[in-house]
Amino acid sequence: MGDKMKKYDHSFHAYIQGIILIGFALLILGLIMTGNIVYYIAPSMMPFIYFALGTFFLLGIMQVFRSTKKDSHQDSCSCEADHQIKGPFPVKLLIYSIFILPILFGFILPDRALDSSVAANRGIQYGSGLGINQVSGEGESSLSRAEAYLDDPEGYINSLSENNGETDDIEHFQLEDFYDQDWYDDYYSELADEFAVEDTITVTEQNYLDVMTVLDIYLDRFIGKEIEILGFAYREEDFEDHQIVIARFSMTCCTADAGVYGTLVESQEAKDFEEDTWLFARGTIKKGQYNDFIIPIIEDAYLVEVEQPATPYVYPNFNR
Amino acid sequence: MNTSNGKTFGKDLLGLVLLFIFLILFLMSDRLNDSEMISNLPNAWVNVNTIFLSIVIEAIPFILLGVFVSSLIQIYVSEETIQRFLPKSALMALVPAAMLGAILPLCECAIVPVVRRLIKKGMPLHVGVVFLVAAPILNPIVFASTYFAFRSEQTNTILYSRMGLAFVLSIIIGAILYGIFKNSHQLRGENISLHVHGHHHHHPGDGSSTFFSKIKDTMYHAVDEFFMMGKYLIIGAFIAAMFQTFLDRAVLTAIGQNDFSSTMVMMIFAYLLSLCSEADAFVASSFGSQFTDMSLVAFLVYGPMLDLKNTFMLFAFFKARFVIVFMITVTIIVFASVMVLFGVIL
Repeated sequence: MGDKMKKYDHSFHAYIQGIILIGFALLILGLIMTGNIVYYIAPSMMPFIYFALGTFFLLGIMQVFRSTKKDSHQDSCSCEADHQIKGPFPVKLLIYSIFILPILFGFILPDRALDSSVAANRGIQYGSGLGINQVSGEGESSLSRAEAYLDDPEGYINSLSENNGETDDIEHFQLEDFYDQDWYDDYYSELADEFAVEDTITVTEQNYLDVMTVLDIYLDRFIGKEIEILGFAYREEDFEDHQIVIARFSMTCCTADAGVYGTLVESQEAKDFEEDTWLFARGTIKKGQYNDFIIPIIEDAYLVEVEQPATPYVYPNFNR
Repeated sequence: MNTSNGKTFGKDLLGLVLLFIFLILFLMSDRLNDSEMISNLPNAWVNVNTIFLSIVIEAIPFILLGVFVSSLIQIYVSEETIQRFLPKSALMALVPAAMLGAILPLCECAIVPVVRRLIKKGMPLHVGVVFLVAAPILNPIVFASTYFAFRSEQTNTILYSRMGLAFVLSIIIGAILYGIFKNSHQLRGENISLHVHGHHHHHPGDGSSTFFSKIKDTMYHAVDEFFMMGKYLIIGAFIAAMFQTFLDRAVLTAIGQNDFSSTMVMMIFAYLLSLCSEADAFVASSFGSQFTDMSLVAFLVYGPMLDLKNTFMLFAFFKARFVIVFMITVTIIVFASVMVLFGVIL
């Protein structure tokens, strides 16, 4: 063994690394035990998190044992030279700090759901965010064609073949017909039928995004219906006193991909509530307009402050 | 002798103190969260912390998967095996590589250590590049999430453009980088003498190459590689969290008014956000009303190939010049091909 080996204290590095791994495991375990993990990770990703938790404990304990061996580097692989944490002491300290800091942040800083300041930067999606019902401009083409097809399938085909024989348009239509559009419309039109027979549409965590989409597509069928919804309060800068948004973050994997879906509410009580207050709203659906989009608005709403729900985010359930 | 004992003792103590701190915090963290001083922190920084931890915790299982696959390759796949399966001609290898990339169910975090390991084992650089850009997009989970994220009529255009471009572009990018670098060594610390030195060490303890010791090797390997990559992931995640918190997305809409600028804006955006390729389609769809299909496809193709988080990891493993050439190539190719696809063909 050359000098090189003497300088690099394998057992110390294995030991510190082992403890850092155990630290990560404790952080994840703590988040799971307190339930605060919902602020960070979507439930569908939890199996991966359990995998990481188990792996960290296992590897951490292994590393600590590895460090107790006298000459532990004999156990390591043939490529260990490039695995060493090199450099003078301050550099090593810096590198280990990079691993230790997230653990400390995780333990010390409060676990909180994203709030309205993030919502403001990300921009609220009114309704489903599909941008279907744009009042004017190019956005119209996107769904109105699908709607045209829905209303009168044969007429739509005819108009296609009459107006333009361009191949890409016809191809497009066929694809959506056989593969995608059918499924999509079936699913939401059935949902719309279900909601239509109910006296009051109750928006839950499970159906939140579905209701948003259905209201966007079939808004006319629901005008005048009662709706109940829960979310955090948000205000755009140009809002009047009686306007407020009830919003939820929707998360697919982690908060980096979270988007904000909100519903505009009109109520005399709106000005009494601060942003980020969790509110329950009950009111009547009407057709309204905001920023050139036709959107559902809940009018004459009754608002009441509620506790933040255990799972503040909603999740797209695309695995159905 | 005495001094060295004292040193060891000090080091042991350091570790124990660290473990003790972790345990105390683990038991106390609930009470800490409620304490006056900490709950008075500015909201913005709590948000940065939330997003930062969220990205790190989310990426960790996939990094672990990546380093496990990498160490399995290290221990079970020999250089000879890789040589045997490689087509003789360098360019002939590109298409099967892209197909293999489609089969590998690895995302952009997990693919980096795997590709590095394969290159170390003698796989040509350009084949590794194909894996690097193709694997994160061409996989069933990304296909499904893209399909469901764009629930309206856009679905087919965006879904098939994304998948088709990923396949074709990975081959083009691989070919270009082959043209520039051929089979030169572009891994960091690629030093033949060190390599031999390491091998030399492995053999003395070779009497114990049992199943158990191979498992142990795999584990040790995984840890070493986790610590090698982890620091870059954490730094990348932190910077991405800053952008996630403070960047006002309305600004993007304001800049991205025409096809040209909106495509560029969405690519920059994809780079900064550092999303998982499984989830980025949902973010893209939330822009659906303000951005064209063209720019959304650019977002969805560029992001998984290159983002802030994996730039740090690339710099960790590859020589700086290679990473810069790789980034420029990917950027130009993605931008140009999206322009051609939507401007000329569709």
